[in-house]
Amino acid sequence: MTAAAPFGQMSIRQLQDGLQAKDFSCVEVASSVLDAIEAKDEELHAFLEVTADQAREAARALDARIAEGAFAEAGPLAGIPVAYKDNMNLLGTHTTCSSAMLENYVAPYTATCVQRTLDAGAIPIGKLNMDEFAFGSSTETSSFGPTLNPWDEERVPGGSSGGSAASVAAGLVPVTLGSDTGGSIRQPASFCGVVGVKPTYGAVSRYGVVAFGSSLDQVGPFARSVEDAALAMNALCGHDPLDCTSQPITTDFTANLDDGVKGMRVGTVPAFMEAQGLAAEVKARVEEAASKLEAAGAELVEVELPHAKAAISAYYVLGPCEAFSNLARFDSVRYGYCDPGHKDLGSQYEASRAKGFGPEARRRIMLGSYLLSAGVYEQYYYPAQQVRTLITEDYTRAFEKVDCLILPTAPRTAFKFGEIADPTEMYLSDMFTISINIAGNGGMNMPVGTGVDSGLPVGAQIVSPAFKDENMLRVAAELERIYGQAPVAPAFRAGE
Amino acid sequence: MQTLEEVLERYEAVIGLEVHTELTTLTTKMFCGCKLEFGAAPNTHTCPVCLGLPGALPVPNKAAIESIVLAGLATNCRIEKRSMFYRKNYMYPDMAKNFQTTQGPIAFCMGGHVDLEVDGPAAKERHGLAKAKAGEAFENVTVTEDGYRAHVGITRIHMEEDAGKMVHFGGEEGRIAGATHSLVDYNRAGTPLIELVTEPDLRTPEEARLFMQKLRQIYLTLGISDCSMEEGSLRCDGNVSLRRRGATELGTKTELKNINSFKSLHDGLLYEIRRQAQVLDEGGTIYQETRHWDPSAKRTIVMRVKETADDYRLFPEPDLAPYDLSDEFIERVRAKLPELPDAKARRFQEEFNLSAYDARHLVESTATAAFFEECMAQASSQKDGGKLAKPLANLIINDVTAWLNANPGQTLEGSPLTPGRAVELMGLVSAGTISSKQGKEVFAAVLEEDADPKAIVEARGMEQVSDTGAIEAVVDAVLAENPDKVEQYQGGKTGLIGFFVGQCMKQMQGKGNPQLINQLLEEKLS
Amino acid sequence: MAQHLTEADVRGIAEYTRIGMTEDEVAQMTVDLNSIIDTLDVIHEYDLDGVKPTFHPIGSLSNVMREDVEGTSFTQEESLSNAPKQQDGSFLIPAILSDGGDR
Repeated sequence: MTAAAPFGQMSIRQLQDGLQAKDFSCVEVASSVLDAIEAKDEELHAFLEVTADQAREAARALDARIAEGAFAEAGPLAGIPVAYKDNMNLLGTHTTCSSAMLENYVAPYTATCVQRTLDAGAIPIGKLNMDEFAFGSSTETSSFGPTLNPWDEERVPGGSSGGSAASVAAGLVPVTLGSDTGGSIRQPASFCGVVGVKPTYGAVSRYGVVAFGSSLDQVGPFARSVEDAALAMNALCGHDPLDCTSQPITTDFTANLDDGVKGMRVGTVPAFMEAQGLAAEVKARVEEAASKLEAAGAELVEVELPHAKAAISAYYVLGPCEAFSNLARFDSVRYGYCDPGHKDLGSQYEASRAKGFGPEARRRIMLGSYLLSAGVYEQYYYPAQQVRTLITEDYTRAFEKVDCLILPTAPRTAFKFGEIADPTEMYLSDMFTISINIAGNGGMNMPVGTGVDSGLPVGAQIVSPAFKDENMLRVAAELERIYGQAPVAPAFRAGE
Repeated sequence: MQTLEEVLERYEAVIGLEVHTELTTLTTKMFCGCKLEFGAAPNTHTCPVCLGLPGALPVPNKAAIESIVLAGLATNCRIEKRSMFYRKNYMYPDMAKNFQTTQGPIAFCMGGHVDLEVDGPAAKERHGLAKAKAGEAFENVTVTEDGYRAHVGITRIHMEEDAGKMVHFGGEEGRIAGATHSLVDYNRAGTPLIELVTEPDLRTPEEARLFMQKLRQIYLTLGISDCSMEEGSLRCDGNVSLRRRGATELGTKTELKNINSFKSLHDGLLYEIRRQAQVLDEGGTIYQETRHWDPSAKRTIVMRVKETADDYRLFPEPDLAPYDLSDEFIERVRAKLPELPDAKARRFQEEFNLSAYDARHLVESTATAAFFEECMAQASSQKDGGKLAKPLANLIINDVTAWLNANPGQTLEGSPLTPGRAVELMGLVSAGTISSKQGKEVFAAVLEEDADPKAIVEARGMEQVSDTGAIEAVVDAVLAENPDKVEQYQGGKTGLIGFFVGQCMKQMQGKGNPQLINQLLEEKLS
Repeated sequence: MAQHLTEADVRGIAEYTRIGMTEDEVAQMTVDLNSIIDTLDVIHEYDLDGVKPTFHPIGSLSNVMREDVEGTSFTQEESLSNAPKQQDGSFLIPAILSDGGDR
């Protein structure tokens, strides 16, 4: 540990060791992190709101507890600065979903995932930029301007949880939360070179997280180390009586991180590695990672996911259908943008929703509405749910042979702003991640070096059977031993 | 417009009902822990879930599911173990999420029925009944001694949630039409609501009214709702169409919305049947439209014309788990079933030797049924108390019901007529202490003076029979027994009046009113 | 590109979803939606006969319910804290009907 390292660039363990040893206080950590954000985020634009008051108040309360000698009781995330994707409600702060629709919306309640981090002792630092309502893979659809990729400011950080990935990659905070509907945690983690975990659907409560695709959405952590991600998973996972789909999880995700991969069966999917659109530099790094796991004692097994190629299509049926319905509530009556001066509700509705939603949100709402309409439902929605069964069965069969899979996370490294304008081409960014949301099991991004052509981070995706998220973390920990911890992006490293 | 009778000669009216019932006896809403309470300050029983705030998720109330299963069991429905909630998507400001959480093709309760007993004047509306004999069956009815029994199919009962409440300003009488602005209160939003849909098995406005009354009685007995039409916890939409007698294809239907009383249901349907007949007779077309019954204007008015079927983009609600009810769950609910009105009527018939008619009408309200049972419990301690069943039933069905109808706001429980007094009163009548006509006077006096029947009879000297009817019967009998004396009297032997009076008094054990006897004798003999 | 929906269809959807659109926007949206829908046909490449749909991703999940116990509610101020317009403790909206008739 370099004493000079900014707090935002430390790991959870480094911070907690220092706090426990009283080398520094929570208030010092909070202040320093807030200062760093002020200094560095104006250009990066990962943060939409910095919750300085809440952060300082939480830090003071924690310091008081630590002073009483109760550090161990202050929670597994005690003193750790955490920031949240801006689709997660935190009482008294804005929840904008990066949309003009919610620009002035102040949350009157707190999401369960946020509350669980607070209960674990986290210091809430702020709210992070994203694609509008999580519709996108680049954070370019944010109504408040894009977030830059800390590795190359001409490039996107990925999305939709672009702010969550970029802020961790830039070393502003050690842990952030994001949400993943089709790859929105894993793809930006890959583009920014950090660890990003999408737990199994049902592992983390969705209560208080603004819904996009209710049967696909899942909350998970970003971090620069597997251990930090696992500690955050410990805090996040577990049953919430406010979310019918949340499950009782009591796993300690740090327990088997040091076990190595000897004897583990790691699956590869040849069809994925041959997929059209997969960049050679990504393919090379992922294959290299697989063989390094083999060298470390894992058994590589080829498996087939014959229906996975239908996943994108199924996703672009199911996601928009659910989104259309979830976004109907933004109607200018109870909250949200209300276009002024209308004498009748119909014109107020139409103007408010036209101006409040950006183009991608409008597209998805209208697509979903079309796909669910009478006569069309049978052609798309219903067969998409049948395809979902087939994809789920593919994974079930694969996981009879292997303990986890290793795949590319994204087909390429971070692209430039404006490089992909066609929506259907943008949708392909999630070609390797989407089938996992369709099936519901866990998947995560693990940085495996940089691409030989681009020099940008490349991510391998490790995929677990449903409710066996500890498997992928264990493999990721091995990769971390091989490749080293995810580095802070060069331009943001301390002293540079 | 023609009368209903004239219309039904040529047309068959096909009526179906959709009945919405709020589960008001629960503590909390359908999908959140907000309290169910009528009349609270606006937007004080709300939370992220029922306000539809971004990020909120629903969790179903188990007691609501138990209630709907109870309703299904009580209406002979099949309880579907596997069902799901769906989202019904349409934007309307009283609906916080802009979709209603409801059920899809399979509801918790499917394919039930209720048997409707129709008697008295109500039975006269049914076409073809006049020619039929008791025991005969046609269409969906079986003819009975005093009317008929109709089999009314129930398509389904599904679980859903109510919307918020709106108040409209700037228009006429708070109407939405012409309003310039409205206020929305979401206290009611998310109230558990069960919707029962009948098959189009009803044929007369009276059947529709009786069905609603019977359903209300069933729900009240189950204790799942307060079923207040005034407060809107029981609401009903009626669909009606006409077709020529003998035709099998259904005609175009109109929908009567937001009916808030049994009378409005009857009168609205009656008007609509007559209106449709007039339109059809004049060669016009019935449009599929929603109409509103205006009780003061005594007519229905168009609310909305439906050009195409609504497309609600129904799809399974991903935020709620599907249902796979266990036998144990259903049996646990079944064990909670109280004695239902039909079963109670059958028991009354057997236990107290009542006619089907009496038993049926006694159970029309929980209060009268309970009152009757308490009366019989008290009467059973008396000699021949069982014989009071019929007179007590008559008292309750006729006099008590008439009094309650004439005194809105009064309840049987709160009235001076206790079961003990009712038994005492009918005991006096049945023992002949007072005549039945006097019995009615005493009944009125009990309610008026809050006194015991015996005390009233004594205070009014009623042991002496002053009942014209009773005396007349005796007079007639005496005159019939003595035709020779009658001839003599009419021949001029007017002194015989004393003989006649004496005979009457003798027959009445001296309790007859002599003046009345004299008066009647003179009338009859003149 | 196949013509899955016409501009008239898109206008109808815009009306239903209550999103105001100019004629230019309708034209562009029609192009966009048709091109997206073209990519969805992959789901029709499989034999789906007899395949059960997965409406809920956690297969074993059923009968999730809560007890009928009162929880915390908002105060009126909290309920209305984000209201664009309010009056007398309620949310205020302009005329629901612009031309008579009902929903």
